[in-house]
Amino acid sequence: MEHLIPIGLNHYLTISAFLLGFGLFAVMTRKNAIVVLMGVELILNAANINFLAFSKYNGGMGGVMFSLFVIVIAAAEAAIALAIVINIFKIFKSVDVSSIDTMKE
Amino acid sequence: MHSLIQLSIVVLLLPLLSFVILIFFNRRLPRRGDFIGVGILGTAFAISAYIFWSVIVQTYDPAFRIAWDFTWIDLGNVPGVGPLKIKMGVVIDNLTAIMLAMVTLISLLVHLYSTGYMAGDKNYGRYFAFLGIFTFSMLGIVLSDNLFSIYIFWELVGLSSYLLIGFFFEKQSAADAQKKAFLANRVGDIGMWLGILILYSQFHTFSFEQIYANLAAGKFTLSNAWLTAAGILLFMGCVGKSAQFPLHIWLPDAMEGPTPVSALIHAATMVAAGVYFVARIFVVLTPDALHVIAFIGAFTAFMAATIAITQNDIKRVLAYSTVSQLGYMVLGLGVGAYSAALFHLVTHAFFKACLFLGSGAIIHAMHHEQDMRWMGGLRKHMPWTFATFTLATLALAGLPLTSGFMSKDAILAGAIGFAQVEGGGVYYLIPVLGFFSAMLTAFYMGRQIWLVFFGESRTHLKPVDNHHSDHHAHGAADEQHGVHEVHEVSWNMRAPLVILAVLSVFIVYSPNPLDGAEGWFMKMIKTPATVVGPANHNSSGALIQASSAPLMAEAQPAAGAHSATDSPAESAGEHASVKGGEHTFADPRQAEIAHASHGAHFTAIYISSIMVVLGISMAFVVYVFKIIDPEKTAQAIRPLYLFSLNKWYWDEIYQATFIKGSIVISKILSWFDTNVVDGIVNGVALVVKKFAFANNSFDKYVVDGLVNFTAFSVNTTGAVLRKLQTGKVQTYVVMLLLAVFGYFVFYFTRLIY
Repeated sequence: MEHLIPIGLNHYLTISAFLLGFGLFAVMTRKNAIVVLMGVELILNAANINFLAFSKYNGGMGGVMFSLFVIVIAAAEAAIALAIVINIFKIFKSVDVSSIDTMKE
Repeated sequence: MHSLIQLSIVVLLLPLLSFVILIFFNRRLPRRGDFIGVGILGTAFAISAYIFWSVIVQTYDPAFRIAWDFTWIDLGNVPGVGPLKIKMGVVIDNLTAIMLAMVTLISLLVHLYSTGYMAGDKNYGRYFAFLGIFTFSMLGIVLSDNLFSIYIFWELVGLSSYLLIGFFFEKQSAADAQKKAFLANRVGDIGMWLGILILYSQFHTFSFEQIYANLAAGKFTLSNAWLTAAGILLFMGCVGKSAQFPLHIWLPDAMEGPTPVSALIHAATMVAAGVYFVARIFVVLTPDALHVIAFIGAFTAFMAATIAITQNDIKRVLAYSTVSQLGYMVLGLGVGAYSAALFHLVTHAFFKACLFLGSGAIIHAMHHEQDMRWMGGLRKHMPWTFATFTLATLALAGLPLTSGFMSKDAILAGAIGFAQVEGGGVYYLIPVLGFFSAMLTAFYMGRQIWLVFFGESRTHLKPVDNHHSDHHAHGAADEQHGVHEVHEVSWNMRAPLVILAVLSVFIVYSPNPLDGAEGWFMKMIKTPATVVGPANHNSSGALIQASSAPLMAEAQPAAGAHSATDSPAESAGEHASVKGGEHTFADPRQAEIAHASHGAHFTAIYISSIMVVLGISMAFVVYVFKIIDPEKTAQAIRPLYLFSLNKWYWDEIYQATFIKGSIVISKILSWFDTNVVDGIVNGVALVVKKFAFANNSFDKYVVDGLVNFTAFSVNTTGAVLRKLQTGKVQTYVVMLLLAVFGYFVFYFTRLIY
């Protein structure tokens, strides 16, 4: 087990960065609104990992409390976002974000 | 306030009341309210007669004088002028009392007469209203105690004269005549006002009494020439109003007015106001000013008399006769025969009013025929008119036993005395012109009487192609019915004639038909002592004392002694005693003239009687016995005849000089106006316009340019930036990321360097 590098802060941050990257990728490229929302969740969770990692290596409970807060808000956000998506579907008969562009110009 | 003053104010305001009632309500009153005019004037005359009775008959004092005044306007201390306080007041002396009675009596008679003469006129009520305001203004002149109020009333009589001359304003000639009268009067009034201002600038008062007192005290600081100028300027008012020589042209034309108006205004009262005014200011007139006045009067008397002998219109003869007689009065004042001139004013007022009302009756009976050539033979049809007209004519001609004889003779005696004192030469021209005019007066009045009343009716001789087409119908009707249609006028027109004719008899004024000086009139109106003149400069307190109280010529006992004398010889003795010191004139010149006039009394009587007889016999020779044919004579001296017929061409001369001149001046001014003034205005307009155009361009290109450029740039920027807004969520996310990325690049670049 000695050749294995002990897991440190950088690992957490790396995973968090990957998660953020995937999340952004999903938000930017996916056409389905649901998938876009899933990307948003990934971004939020990337932030959560950062909070927890810094909390662990820094001591104190501030980061834990903050990530709990983020989870709660993410839940609320998901609920509202899904409601919006349902409404959009009702109007446009589609959840393709690229085709919903009536706000242009 | 004296009770007579109160009464005189009532007399003054009564005709105004008549005016106010009639001008507003005449259409609502029965008979258009003429009874109100007549009734009010009757009341005014009754009160005036009471004043006359108390002042002249009961008091019988030559020095009688009561006055009352109040401050009308107090303007305080006006910068550049000094204290400015305008007072109004009433003065009653013998002259005022006589004039009050005369004006109200003639006005009453004219009111009464007009009820017949003007009956049926469509503006009947307004006519009486105008008569009311005229009487009010005339009484105002008579009662005024200062120059300011006399000037106000002076303008008011001018206005009422204007209104009444143009009473038949539908006629072009009447409208022209009223304009002419107004303008001619205006010229005189400007002079009068300037004269008033010269006196005011010295004494800061308008009151007669104070001006005279100041003058007597030698407070006039300017040179004597200014005083003469003030006198002549004040006299200009009289020249305008009393139709003296340069401004006499309006009076004959004023005959376009109704005939009773001619009697009241243009013969008896208003035109005499000028003479009355000169009498009021008599004491401020310097000898030089008096000379001017005397010559103007003499020339006017002569000129108007020569014109009157050829006129054919019955009223025009009387009009020129009025001008001539006014010339006599002015002449009388000019030579210092003050009481004689005023005496003539009163006697003339009565007999001339009688003549005008008589001519009105004739015109009325002849159906508005005014040309004497087509009259004749009226004696049988109008006996009352004939009798009164003849009596008044004799008075005008100055035959003994009439009032006109006494007054005219007194003036001529004064003129002779004046010429003697002034040293003969050119001054004898004044009595000579006076006597010659007396002869002409007798001649033209004889001619008028003969043409109108004697002979056969010449109505049918009137040319048919008369340009008065509307009168033509009348003429034709007369021809058919003959002259029998002419009949005597009704009682309300006859009564005034009789009253006025009675007042033309000598006995009313003086018990001695040869000497007016024995009558009450000339005893009550005495020549006031002058407050100016050569003696004024080197004199002492004695003169001031003497002048401040109006001087009475002769003491009462002397007058009594005089009336007892009947023969010329005794009179001559009297004259010597006059020289001995009965006269109290402080001014030697005045005393000398008074004395010389007295001496000339019988000379004047002889010469004027001869002249009158000569004139009347000439009229008989020409018109009754037809020894000289007037037509042929006129042909023989055609230039002279035309000269007289065309009124000495004064109208033409004025047309060629003043009227043409003012037209030329107006044309020059019009040219100046169109080219210079309008040029300046148009130039300014052009500059403003150019500036406005420049401003417009600036606005259009610079200001609007800036605004439009702003709009354009905003528009363009918007158009570019609009492209960024795709409406697609993911684009925004990319932009967000780019922004964050950019921020990092920026942040780390700063970190590195």
